[in-house]
Amino acid sequence: MVGRILSWIGIVLAGAGTLPAAGIQTANLTPQTVSQYRAILDRYCVTCHNERLRTAELVLGAMDVGNVSEDAAVWEKVVRKLRTGAMPPAGMPRPDTATHDSFVTYLEAQLDRASAGNPNPGRTGVHRLNRAEYTNAIRDLLALEIDGGALLPPDESAYGFDNIAAVLSVSPLLLERYMTAARRISRRAIGDPDARPVFETYEIRKFLRQDDHMSEDLPFGSRGGIAIRHYFPLDGEYIIRIRLQKEARERIRGLHEPHQIDVRLDGERVTLFTIGSEDFGTPAPIFSLGTLVGDPEREKYERFADEDLEIRFSAKTGTRLVGISFVNQFVIPEGPLHYINGRPDYLPRLSLSDRIENRGGPPEVQTVAIGGPYDAKGLGETPSRNKVFVCRPVNNDDEEACVKRILSTLARRAYRRPFTDEDLEPLLSFYKAGQSDGGFEEGIRRALEAILVSPEFLFRIESDPANVALGTAYLISDIELASRLSFFLWSSIPDDELLDVAERGELRDPGVLEQQVGRMLRDRRSQALVSNFAAEWLGLRALAAAKPDQNVFSDFDENLRDAFRLETELFFENIMREDRSVLEFLDANYSFVNNRLAEHYQIPGVYGSHFRRVKLSDGTRGGLLGQGAILTATSYDNRTSPVTRGKWVLDNLLGTPPPPPPPNVPFLKEQGAGDKVLTMRERMEQHRADPACASCHKLMDPLGFALENFDGIGKWRTAEGGTPIDPSGVLPDGTTFQGPAELRKALLTKREGFVTIVTEKLLTYALGRWLEYYDAPAVREITREAAPNEHRWSSLILGIVQSTPFQRRRSQDP
Amino acid sequence: MMIFKKAIPRRTFLRGVGATVALPLLDGMIPAFASKSQAAVMSPVRLSICYVPNGIIPGAWKPQTVGPNFEITPVLKPLAKFRDRLLVLSGLSNRHAEAAPGDGGQTAPHELACGAFLTGAHPQKEGRVGVSMDQVLAQEFGQQTQLASLELGIEAPDVTGQCALGWNCAYIHTLSWRSPTTPVPIENQPRMVFERLFGDSNTTDPAERQARISQNRSLLDWMSESSARIMKRLGPKDRSKLTEYLDAIRDVERRIARAEEQTSRELPVLDRPAGIPATYDEHAKIMFDLMTSALQSDMTRVITFMLGREQSDWTYREIGIFDAHHPTTHHQNDPVKIGKITKINIFHASLLSYYLEKLASTPDGDGSLLDHSMVLYGSGLGDGSQHAPHDLPILLAGGAAGQIRGGSHIQHPKDTPVTNLFLTIMDRMGVHQDSFGDSTGRLDLSHPA
Repeated sequence: MVGRILSWIGIVLAGAGTLPAAGIQTANLTPQTVSQYRAILDRYCVTCHNERLRTAELVLGAMDVGNVSEDAAVWEKVVRKLRTGAMPPAGMPRPDTATHDSFVTYLEAQLDRASAGNPNPGRTGVHRLNRAEYTNAIRDLLALEIDGGALLPPDESAYGFDNIAAVLSVSPLLLERYMTAARRISRRAIGDPDARPVFETYEIRKFLRQDDHMSEDLPFGSRGGIAIRHYFPLDGEYIIRIRLQKEARERIRGLHEPHQIDVRLDGERVTLFTIGSEDFGTPAPIFSLGTLVGDPEREKYERFADEDLEIRFSAKTGTRLVGISFVNQFVIPEGPLHYINGRPDYLPRLSLSDRIENRGGPPEVQTVAIGGPYDAKGLGETPSRNKVFVCRPVNNDDEEACVKRILSTLARRAYRRPFTDEDLEPLLSFYKAGQSDGGFEEGIRRALEAILVSPEFLFRIESDPANVALGTAYLISDIELASRLSFFLWSSIPDDELLDVAERGELRDPGVLEQQVGRMLRDRRSQALVSNFAAEWLGLRALAAAKPDQNVFSDFDENLRDAFRLETELFFENIMREDRSVLEFLDANYSFVNNRLAEHYQIPGVYGSHFRRVKLSDGTRGGLLGQGAILTATSYDNRTSPVTRGKWVLDNLLGTPPPPPPPNVPFLKEQGAGDKVLTMRERMEQHRADPACASCHKLMDPLGFALENFDGIGKWRTAEGGTPIDPSGVLPDGTTFQGPAELRKALLTKREGFVTIVTEKLLTYALGRWLEYYDAPAVREITREAAPNEHRWSSLILGIVQSTPFQRRRSQDP
Repeated sequence: MMIFKKAIPRRTFLRGVGATVALPLLDGMIPAFASKSQAAVMSPVRLSICYVPNGIIPGAWKPQTVGPNFEITPVLKPLAKFRDRLLVLSGLSNRHAEAAPGDGGQTAPHELACGAFLTGAHPQKEGRVGVSMDQVLAQEFGQQTQLASLELGIEAPDVTGQCALGWNCAYIHTLSWRSPTTPVPIENQPRMVFERLFGDSNTTDPAERQARISQNRSLLDWMSESSARIMKRLGPKDRSKLTEYLDAIRDVERRIARAEEQTSRELPVLDRPAGIPATYDEHAKIMFDLMTSALQSDMTRVITFMLGREQSDWTYREIGIFDAHHPTTHHQNDPVKIGKITKINIFHASLLSYYLEKLASTPDGDGSLLDHSMVLYGSGLGDGSQHAPHDLPILLAGGAAGQIRGGSHIQHPKDTPVTNLFLTIMDRMGVHQDSFGDSTGRLDLSHPA
């Protein structure tokens, strides 16, 4: 340790020794010349980053400040460290603000100028569609909803996103899945007149409480159940079988009183079942731990009563909404609602262990099985069939023309480019083979199957024009640009309008690109930015995998998990659809809650299971940092993790990711004298006494500590285990603050960092590749142009779409 | 709420068409009807590699005594009944998991540990390492079995943002690399594994199956012709994705060809699994069941199975551990945390014991599957608390068709590359390489009786 300190002092002394003669010590004189900048560099940077010390493998001594394009990669690193205030490190001499700003502004201007003169747009390689894109492409190509997760394996990710071309690989497993998927999808799109009866079972998560209205697709005022989009392969008869949740002894819960189960098809009631009874045999007590049983008849009834929940009904071909729910029997008293521990007093909430052990509480649906078709009447019209069969051959003479029309329409959309005669030949041969086996429709199906496994569908392929020199930037074609747009904004293929504009070569006409982007953002398909971009950026997929410990966080259940996700999705979507400033991610004073979430957040006056916007006034919540989704995803199952939360803030809000942990994790010293149990903060403080840990943990931990008022599932607390929470924190630049409200304010003072990181994340996602140093000028330009528009969502999106890396591509290197 | 995802009750089995007969994923790849198995006569050696993340507590794993009288340590206890069928191999090192100067200070110890383990190469950030040992074997056996290899795991690899910034997340999700730049993804859904092995169709009509085979053939032809056409207009660097696609096409073509040859293969009786079981324990066991079936039917001879992704934060509630795995491994010598990790290590070993039991009770040729198997068990880190990739916990079980005699603890010289063991394993599989990764020679697995 002593040696370390000495060498540290040595560095400082060495720095002093190289102090240049030029008069830049007079702080208020803003430097203006290259030699002055050189002097700043020498004084504040080269003291460590020189040939001898090579700190962080960075040597700035010999670099030319006057000609930054020589070493743009290194200079961009310097700019980043300066912009985020990470360098010079605390404790070392720093230039005053004017000098600092002038220097970094100079460097940026030089880098931007060099880049404008010789832009490097980078090069995204061949890009396989990921699972989400494939699923959406099928939806838009064939008007067919598929469960991509059941058909295809997950995709690998890098830099936080799973649409990065370089890591989306192809394995034999994936190829087999593509072939199976193509067969199943083509069959479903065309329809299979020989479909045999099968049962599909839908299961409700066991720990999803069904004590409220579960879906906008279920009748208003209903309780529990499930809304299912089920595909009915033919016009015919189908069977629905419902099974109810049972306790540990396999007895259905809640049969001590009658309940009605409402079954609907596309909103129309199919039947109303009644189950449960007070006056039937002698039941066991409602809350008994299994030792007491009722009379045999009653026991049998409680075990098997749901076997009668079966109904046969007729349905038309296609995807239809099946709704199963209970008629809500709780009489809501008139007048103001009374609350007991935050719950309306008419509705007791069972603990999760009660739900396992006891027969009390309302009955809940466990599974719904839908089987058929029986007594099939043939194929009906479906959106998919209408979309595929744009014509029907009336006689043999017009068959070929119609087939050609169908195939060219499908292939143009699937390949996302004009259809050529060359494309027709192979598809026709698939058609002919199928046609001779099973007629016109089977022929089309076979050709569709072939389209769905074609590399032109599965991969996004951009190719250099023949006349472009190697290693130069060129404008990609309108057709390629159309795909970049649709995969960015929709995670899907372009629609006909976009393709038409691109094919006519009008996509870059004045105003057209803006108009198309505006149209695409308003379209429902831009929801993909929520389900893909936001879900990955904000860790919603990690939320789905979180398993908070019931012993520590007994409030957590599946309803809360769903509410967390919806809150963050709605919040993001609101900023996107209302075109708000992205700074609202940091400090919005509103959010979206339902009764369950409001209770968790201790927001009074919110009734009902639907989400609505609420104003947050007490300063504890607001912005992303008050949201349960993020607070839960950055915690461990049984406790908070200030390190993880701090790292999340650095990565996602400040844009200054800490370096990864050292390869060899040193042990902390044994606990202090005596048997005093250290608090989380005390232990972490001790951790940071070790310099090897401190260099990063001193950045992460204080940010996480400021969020300690939120427990591992985002519930507000003022004490932990009897000890009051100390929510004091420090920003990397030394700014101190107290708790989340002040952290939000402090973050707003670092807004450039946030806008930059959001832009970088969006650009990474938009390009499907990680950013390189040569993208930094584009990022700066986008954020600069968005500033007058208060960094509104659309200004960032448009900035990206118009940026060099999005519009251009570097041709193959020599 | 709207639920699109379908889950089938766990007890829904394939009934009616005869549970022994199930057609494969690409209908018609596997023959439906069987006479007596021919493969059993030859009894090839099979390799299973079972990986546990975050290292193993050294004091709870490593026996103090070298040789046949080694003591049964807490972690080895669940395996005690197999002590004569296994070798504990100490002193082996995963040297490329150490940070290297080229990393530019951007170390990622868990990515390195897992990425280097089976490849013996130093992982580069964005996804370039080396062909893994299992894939070297897969390339060999892919000529003889329908599936060149199987890659399985417990944790779904679709939670982004869990790996170090800028590192290809594949490093912590899989052990297997087909090429230095192509990771092979793991499958964690039992049903998907089942369908990949034994099919998803109920058709038994031979004519229909033959028709499907020829349809699949023409689709594959079309796919390779299309990609060949596209490749012509691409530069060499852009071709790599399509090369992967072409390689995969050839793999599937080979599979079809194998399926047609092996028209008299008997398939094991196995129920079609439904969704992912509710507990870790059940999930791991059903994966082991599927592995056993895959080996038994000689669908493949090489399987990797990750009992957790590297740096896993899994919480093993069913054994009373309510803390996430990875952070607890950095135990700072806290005896309570060490105790918890030891319990997890023991739990994993008990699941391995389940697998060995399963292999031992499955007849194969003149003995059992365990007799004709090698089961490599271990981690890419030794002491996980220190990210130390030395003195790895490694165990090799099974007889390798009479080529390995178990019942000893062999101590190798300090920092012997674990790749030396891999060379030896490949030898036992009949695949002889001069060197592999950072290997410096072969391991002597013999020991005095």
